[in-house]
Amino acid sequence: MLERRSALASATPYVSAALKISERPGFTLTQVAGPEAAISAVVGSLPEQVARAQVNGGRTIFRIGPAQFWIVGPETDDTAGRLAGQCAVTPLSSSRVRIALEGAPARAVLAKLVPVDLHPSVFTPGSVALTGIHHTPVTAHCTGENAFDIYVMRTFAMTVWETITDAALHCATHR
Amino acid sequence: MTAFRRLPQGGRIDRRKPVSARCDGKELNGFAGDTLASALLASNRVLVGRSFKYHRPRGILSAGIEEPNGLFTLGEGATTEPNVAATMVDFVDGLVARTQNAWPSPDFDLMAVNSILAPLFQSGFYYKTFMGPTKGSWMFYEPFIRKAAGLGKATDLPDPDRYDMRYAFCDVLVIGSGPAGLAAALTAGRSGARVVLAEQDSGFGGSLLSGSDAEHESWRVACVEELKSLANVEALARTTVQGLYDGNLAVLVENRSHLRPDAAKGQPRMVLTQLRAKAIVMATGAIERPLIFSNNDRPGVMLASALRSYANRFAVAPEKRTVLVTNNDTAYDAALDLAAAGVAVTVADHRASVSAEILSRAGAKGVAIFPNTGIVDVEGSKAVKAVKLGGAHAVTIECDAVGMAGGWSPVVHLSSHGGIKPKYHEAVAGFVPGGFASSHFGAGAIMGTFSLSAAIAEGSNAGASAASQAGFGKTRPVYAPEHVTDRSYAILPAWAPPQGGKGKAFVDFQNDVTLKDVKIAHQEGYLSVEHLKRYTTLGMGTDQGKTSNINALALMAEHRGITIPEAGTTTFRPPYAPLTMGAIAGRTRGPHFRPVRLSPLHDWHVKNGATFIDAGLWKRAWFYSWAGATPETAYIKEMELVRRGVGLADVSTLGKIDIQGKDAAEFLNRVYVNGFARLPVGKVRYGVMLNDDGIVLDDGTTARISENRFYMTTTTAQAGEVMSWLEYLLQCHWTDLDVQVASLTDEWAGMAVSGPKAREALQLAFPDADLSNEALPYMGVKDILVDGVTVRLLRMSFSGELAYEVHVTADYAISLWEHILKSAASTGIKPYGLEALASLRIEKGHVAGLELDHRNTLDDLGLGKMAGREKDYVGRALRFREDCQSPDRWSLVGLELMEPEKKLRGGSILFAATDEIKGHGRGYITSVTWSTELNRFIALGLYKGGLKHEGEEIIAAFPLKNERVKLRIVSPHFIDKEGARLHA
Repeated sequence: MLERRSALASATPYVSAALKISERPGFTLTQVAGPEAAISAVVGSLPEQVARAQVNGGRTIFRIGPAQFWIVGPETDDTAGRLAGQCAVTPLSSSRVRIALEGAPARAVLAKLVPVDLHPSVFTPGSVALTGIHHTPVTAHCTGENAFDIYVMRTFAMTVWETITDAALHCATHR
Repeated sequence: MTAFRRLPQGGRIDRRKPVSARCDGKELNGFAGDTLASALLASNRVLVGRSFKYHRPRGILSAGIEEPNGLFTLGEGATTEPNVAATMVDFVDGLVARTQNAWPSPDFDLMAVNSILAPLFQSGFYYKTFMGPTKGSWMFYEPFIRKAAGLGKATDLPDPDRYDMRYAFCDVLVIGSGPAGLAAALTAGRSGARVVLAEQDSGFGGSLLSGSDAEHESWRVACVEELKSLANVEALARTTVQGLYDGNLAVLVENRSHLRPDAAKGQPRMVLTQLRAKAIVMATGAIERPLIFSNNDRPGVMLASALRSYANRFAVAPEKRTVLVTNNDTAYDAALDLAAAGVAVTVADHRASVSAEILSRAGAKGVAIFPNTGIVDVEGSKAVKAVKLGGAHAVTIECDAVGMAGGWSPVVHLSSHGGIKPKYHEAVAGFVPGGFASSHFGAGAIMGTFSLSAAIAEGSNAGASAASQAGFGKTRPVYAPEHVTDRSYAILPAWAPPQGGKGKAFVDFQNDVTLKDVKIAHQEGYLSVEHLKRYTTLGMGTDQGKTSNINALALMAEHRGITIPEAGTTTFRPPYAPLTMGAIAGRTRGPHFRPVRLSPLHDWHVKNGATFIDAGLWKRAWFYSWAGATPETAYIKEMELVRRGVGLADVSTLGKIDIQGKDAAEFLNRVYVNGFARLPVGKVRYGVMLNDDGIVLDDGTTARISENRFYMTTTTAQAGEVMSWLEYLLQCHWTDLDVQVASLTDEWAGMAVSGPKAREALQLAFPDADLSNEALPYMGVKDILVDGVTVRLLRMSFSGELAYEVHVTADYAISLWEHILKSAASTGIKPYGLEALASLRIEKGHVAGLELDHRNTLDDLGLGKMAGREKDYVGRALRFREDCQSPDRWSLVGLELMEPEKKLRGGSILFAATDEIKGHGRGYITSVTWSTELNRFIALGLYKGGLKHEGEEIIAAFPLKNERVKLRIVSPHFIDKEGARLHA
């Protein structure tokens, strides 16, 4: 029986009372490109700008290019199958690791990592930035007041995990 | 004789909080609110170091960032930080400081012999002595000279402190928190704009912190309190703006040393902020200039403004008597405040007359004023004993300290970083900003606005303009305190000193540049201030000439008989103040120096005895412990495994690209030199692509999965490059093609199953799949389902053996890898690493990254025949340019070692047998390996004329080890030339 294994399976966990940093596995990531009408017929309305994410039911849709989208759905999701033949569909679920930051210090920690204006009045829930952490491309998504999902490349996931937890060292529980 | 004392009351120090530190091993006491400099003065430690070249005794000159003399080494061992200005160091418990550049101590410094040898050390000494015929002697003398001259010494130990970097954004950045800066920040803050106020000092207020007026102080406190109450204002103390760059990027460095941060808890000693502001207000103030006269560097000779700061802010004053020397009215601020503190003050004023108002106020405080008078000389060596005045009042006065008031130089560094040269302002006798970018504003002393009410008004206006620039129109101005009486400036600059002094008169204190040196530079024909600077080293110290530049260029102008604006300034460059390297490096050090890229199989390799090697950012499994403890032995066993049995290698690092769309085949046909238009579904093809200059970009394979879908692999090294190239071609050149590309490098893992038993092994792993030669022939591709997971089998070979690549989505990689090893255990399958992988391909004659070095053509690599003759492809036109077709190009050859007892080395230079072994030769060895098939060293190389020379005996030289070996040029295909193994 083939089993899935996380790229962060051997990562050192981060422990802090104020800030939670954790992997959020269990998602399906599908990259699609093609006619927007065909895509929205399957996944609902699409975000108008690259800088915003659209949550439709259990799926979050990111516009990652002028006519390119990421559809992040639950662990089992039939989006790819339903869109096949209508547009270019590339399953990418293994290619990204989702790291979540939640808690009051999250914005200050992220400010050490991404050259993005993270002021609460600017980077509001639903905001998205295609940016970089430690020289690697990441997609940062504000999911709540002080909550963020960071999609990082799988092969860089460990190095980015270490960079993020290092940036948050001042909030960590020190034993 | 110079002596300082702590005043019984006053100052901003907290007398309830005594602080104890150590300086040169001795206890040093002070209070919270002191700086290291004020604590030293309060303890009457006046002599704080020796000068750079002459080892002259030196004391504290200033009370700010411009300090040239009072440089200390802070910390011990690994935390050692040299050349820190004592004026900028918060005096905190546990502080450890050492004096510099004196041995054994500043008080008894044997190096002071340099002072006697002074004539040797004037400008140009080194150039004249050690250039030309005597240049060689420099090598001998250098270590001694370097030991004798110089400042503090850095440590070689790794810095244990932590330095953070962060990004920030704001609407308005205000630089400096003097009266103008406070007014600007508050006015901008009241508009609702996001404001950052950066202040290099530990407190907000700038010159107001050194003042004595109660009403000014309550104005300052009210401003600071209101700023702190505004949620949209971030006020940063101990934060120096080190540079301004394009796009309104400001680099701020906050020093948190006083908090004694614990790196293990993630607390940074410094934080570097890359701040992007929509508008910037520069309220950077001005720095007082010294005056030039004989022995103006004696400990106890200070800036007049510094004496005032120490008295008012730190409650430290000269014991009894002070002489101030001035060319402007601002010295009287110091004179009156020192007099109020009980110091007897005499002012020697260069000017013929002083205003009646000053005369009456000074008279009331008992301050003696000598107009038309200057200082001729200072008596005393390690401290001031007396000053000799010249001019109208040629008397000698015993005193404790001397205050110099030579006028004020606006701090125009930041306004100049963007390339706008400062301009000379006659009334100010200094340079002010030569202009501003549209989103930049200036206010206060930087503009030459030295009076308080005008600076506040200018600051408030600049704050409003900056907020408006950032889109915040409505605000409320900040007004000056009600009873401000603005003091005049009335400067009358005289740059050269009065005649009569016999001692050295210093222009640049830190680099020991004297009046005479400036004159010598002029006599030697140095006309530009930039040359003056390099020739004399003036302004090249850690203080970057903050107190000396204007005096120097004014003197230069005088010598040349030109005006000061004609002389101009030297170029201002970041950083504004000395900066610890750690602050620039931030967290990008040690394991965080660069990102590390890991294969999806990495954890398995770690657990199973792999030794890793860096390949670009990747950590790749180099060899495994089952085969040996060193790469030299292990890779040969791993090669034998593949040649005789079956091995499993991680090839997940290969670039993988999804290409789909109805024009995908056409697209590939244009990208690759060989044809892809008619590649059948289910087949893989090797392909080579060129840059548009006709040079090889990369090679790889592409499989046709369905009519409109292809799966490309690239080399590990060029994966990113190829992906960008394809996107560029589609987005910029062939927008009409219906093609989408997506990187799958991270989505899919790859493993090579290679060796005569490869099919047997895979059949054991996938018993339900038909892997026969018919069902999956050489260069065939097939997707199978294993436990519901798609596994892609590509029958292709890098090693030259019967081989397959097995690709699977990365999450399943370790599970599938373990499944293959377990189910095919009976075949003897084991993992093999990068060293064996790369050696096997040399035997087969496959080119790789070492040969594809962006300098070679298709023909150089023996691949010219692959290219389509009928079709067009990227790089075709330039591939046929004359130079690319030259028969003398260095092209691919195989090489066999003729002397079995010797070793072949990669990088060896190739020569014909009759050549003199000299120069670049006729080529070089790109890749070398021991051949388990041929039992000798073989290599691939590039050789002038290539295989035209097949069979010739040549020489490989490795000059670094003085080695020469004989080789024979052979075909690069060492094994299985007919490809029988591949098709087995």
